Amino acid sequence: MLYVKNLHKSYQVGTSTYEVLKGINLAVSKGEFVAIMGPSGSGKSTLLNCISCYIPFEEGEILLGGQSLAGLNQTQLAKVRNEKLGFVFQDFMLLDGLSVRENILLPCIIKGNADAKAETQVRDLCEMFGISHIMDKYPAEISGGERQRTAVARALINRPLLVLADEPTGNLDSKSSRAVIDAFISSRDTLSATIFMVTHDSFSASFCDRVILMKDGKIWRTMVKDSSGDKMQARSDFQDRLLSATKEMSSDVGTAVAKKEVTR
Amino acid sequence: MNVNTLSVVFHKLRSHNRKNYILYVCCNFTSLLLITAYSGILFSPTVLSIFPEGGDSRKQIDMIFVMALIGCLVFTIYAAGLFYRMKSKELGVMMLLGASKQKLIKTLSGEVFILSLVSSLAGTVLGLPLAWLLWGLFRLLLVDGPEMALHFDFSCLLVSALSMCIVIFFACAIGLFYLRKVNLMDVVNTEHKNEPLRGVKKWFGWVGLLLLFSGAILGYYSSSIYMSLFQSYSPAWLNVTYAPVFIGLYLFLLHVVVNGLGVGRKNNYKGLIARSMMKFQGRQTVNNMMVVTVLITGGLFAAFYTPMLGTGHMMRTEARAFDYGFHYPYALEQTVPSQAEIDSMAQDAGTSGIADWTNIEVSTLGAAGYREVQDEGGKFHVEYLPIVGGSRFLSESAFKAFSDTECNVPKGQYYAINQVGYKNSFRLNNGADMITNMTTREEIPVTFGGYLGDDILGDRGYYVLNDEDYKKITQGISEEWKEHMVFFNTAGQDNYTFARNFFDDLVDRFAASPQAENYMISSEYDKVEEIVANENGQIYDGDTLEDSGTLSSEQRDSNGFRLYWDYMPQSKTLDSHEFLKIMAVFLVAFIFVALICLAVAMMICYTRSITIAINNRYVFDDLKRLGASPAFLRKEVKRQVSKVFAVPATVGCMAMYFLYGLVMYANDSYFSVDEIWGMIVCLAVVLAVAALIYLVYRITIRQMEEKLEIERRP
Repeated sequence: MLYVKNLHKSYQVGTSTYEVLKGINLAVSKGEFVAIMGPSGSGKSTLLNCISCYIPFEEGEILLGGQSLAGLNQTQLAKVRNEKLGFVFQDFMLLDGLSVRENILLPCIIKGNADAKAETQVRDLCEMFGISHIMDKYPAEISGGERQRTAVARALINRPLLVLADEPTGNLDSKSSRAVIDAFISSRDTLSATIFMVTHDSFSASFCDRVILMKDGKIWRTMVKDSSGDKMQARSDFQDRLLSATKEMSSDVGTAVAKKEVTR
Repeated sequence: MNVNTLSVVFHKLRSHNRKNYILYVCCNFTSLLLITAYSGILFSPTVLSIFPEGGDSRKQIDMIFVMALIGCLVFTIYAAGLFYRMKSKELGVMMLLGASKQKLIKTLSGEVFILSLVSSLAGTVLGLPLAWLLWGLFRLLLVDGPEMALHFDFSCLLVSALSMCIVIFFACAIGLFYLRKVNLMDVVNTEHKNEPLRGVKKWFGWVGLLLLFSGAILGYYSSSIYMSLFQSYSPAWLNVTYAPVFIGLYLFLLHVVVNGLGVGRKNNYKGLIARSMMKFQGRQTVNNMMVVTVLITGGLFAAFYTPMLGTGHMMRTEARAFDYGFHYPYALEQTVPSQAEIDSMAQDAGTSGIADWTNIEVSTLGAAGYREVQDEGGKFHVEYLPIVGGSRFLSESAFKAFSDTECNVPKGQYYAINQVGYKNSFRLNNGADMITNMTTREEIPVTFGGYLGDDILGDRGYYVLNDEDYKKITQGISEEWKEHMVFFNTAGQDNYTFARNFFDDLVDRFAASPQAENYMISSEYDKVEEIVANENGQIYDGDTLEDSGTLSSEQRDSNGFRLYWDYMPQSKTLDSHEFLKIMAVFLVAFIFVALICLAVAMMICYTRSITIAINNRYVFDDLKRLGASPAFLRKEVKRQVSKVFAVPATVGCMAMYFLYGLVMYANDSYFSVDEIWGMIVCLAVVLAVAALIYLVYRITIRQMEEKLEIERRP
């Protein structure tokens, strides 16, 4: 579904160039729920923004459903964003002036197919995510969790190849976070949605099938959840493994800093 | 409404964000309203006929107009930027969800075009009625005069049309700029995007001030320096010498915004939050402050006109030694009212008659001197002429007969009569070495002895000769060059009825006299100069007798008649009572201009402050979470807004006051008493303007507190 090959991205600050992504290679299969974790500055949001076509990249290739995203013009990129990608943001990015129903319908309106079928889809998604009762309410009138589930429904309305989620639980309490993660899981299970999520939260990441740990612009380790046996236990074990891997990654950073100090 | 198309979505978002739309529409509307009202007044025949073409007052009002125009346009462009900033989240989300730029550009540009067009058009349509209404109010409440009837020249709407095009162009161009940004995250984050000011050094402050004041001095004197260096009139590009003023102003504002005033700051943490907020939103704030400073400066320049003119006039009128003074040619001896007739007229008007009747003789003589002769290519040269023009001379004893000023004119010298306290005047000839009897062409050599102060004849082209010299040079002079000059007082209290009757009677008698066309002439007409030019086969380039023919007795209450009629009598009562009426167009036009400039400046300050509130809302929310009390938050709001208001107000007021003082001083290299009093009155105007700015500041603070949901002071 998604292939990222030797992706390089750097930022220019004044006369200095900072390489943020240093040759990323990864693949995500259809129906897979993948998380990216890593410390601040590891490049995970930059990777997501490159896949989202928000920011251009210098080197490498991103293939989405077999289509290369490099070299597409603005209109083609807009079409990809509308039809092949779905987005969920940390701060929801809902339009305050539109109701929940209208917000979810917005990608269809942009596509030009906001018909009765689309409205039925909106209702189905709302039902699936438990937000049917707030369909005619406005973002200001609903809770954070409900807003994020609205955003998930909006991301799925055009049946995209890939849903990209940037810290979707970052602004939510644990109960709302769980509801959003459940929404992702149910969309994967029911609609075979493919989800690529950036998160800091090992609890949220533990629900994923696979977690990619990033450090200093490179993939540090990829961890796969053992799905055999009891699901609850598998998730809990996976979270423990993630926590210890994160700790290991942090101490690795500590060791590197200490080494640098000694060298000086 | 079934939301199923992008245009319906836009419609729905419009009604949700109507406050933003109203703000944008109001900004455009107000801008065009003010531009149209201002240009309506500026280009109206009412104003143009009073403001002399090429005169200083016309140049001043034009200059302020350009400043206000630029201010208004900057304001609308800024409003467009603010509009998109508030709309950027919507646009960003739509683009993130796959709306193509072309589709958004099409929908948005249509919307913005219609909004800008309708709001600007409404402002333009209502601009002239506003001008008419304000002008009418001024007439009703402030001053009215015979020339105050307002007529419009509708070609002024060309300025509004051009401004509308600029407004619409920039509104669409800014929209395109936003949408064309490749990095979508920038579009989404624009609402909270800061414009950090970096590299602002401490020395920006003092260098800025230095450039500001030295630029003003350089700009002011550059023209005269150029003329003396190159013997050529200064070209328009020389105004570029004022550039350091703007550079200095910008540097100083940058310094204040980023570093604060930085004088004796004891606690670096005091105002840290406000300073840091300002530092990261500084660029637009500084740009706005710059425009506001220039507008306040322009507004004050216009506002100073009335008090400066009025104070000087009132003081000089009050200081006159006689209540009345008038002069007339010998040929009209039998025409003008006699002493007895005037006395009777005074008694009829309820006074106790007249007293202190003094009648002296005045002769017009040719005087030698220098004049500038225009050459090709803007160059000129100064040439000496044995008769450069005519001047009115009187004897020393005649001068002593009506003036208390000590006078001792040695033989072979002449003195110029100037206003009391003035040391020189560009209108008086102080370089004559020969005077000529225009009948006999007898000449006597003279040298300039100095100035004699008198508030009746001062600075009006009168000179004093030693009695013996006067007798000698006027020997054989024909009556056409001789005049009587009469001074008298009212016995007891003077009144307006007598003053007006006397003036009307005198004008009627001049107008009814044989060959009245020779007497209803402008004081700018110089018969001597015309004769000499004709004798030399040259063309007299001053005001001709035909030009002066426009001074009709029917228009005796017009500004032109009162200021330029060669035989205009002087009356303390009439001159003080009718001063405002006669100068009404000048005064009201300048007051109008001042109001427009200050209104635009205040609008920009208000809008900028509200933007600061919107942009920094999250900072204030964070401060609340950190436990900041409403009092603390109010203080931070004040610190922000006070810079937006106080710095341009202080710099603008001080700069204008300094520049005006400089102009007053540079006119004659010293301050006269009435100039000093004028400057004191101007200081009162500055305080009044400061009070007005403070009022708007208070209103803005309240609005910001509401927007930031800061609890009001109990």
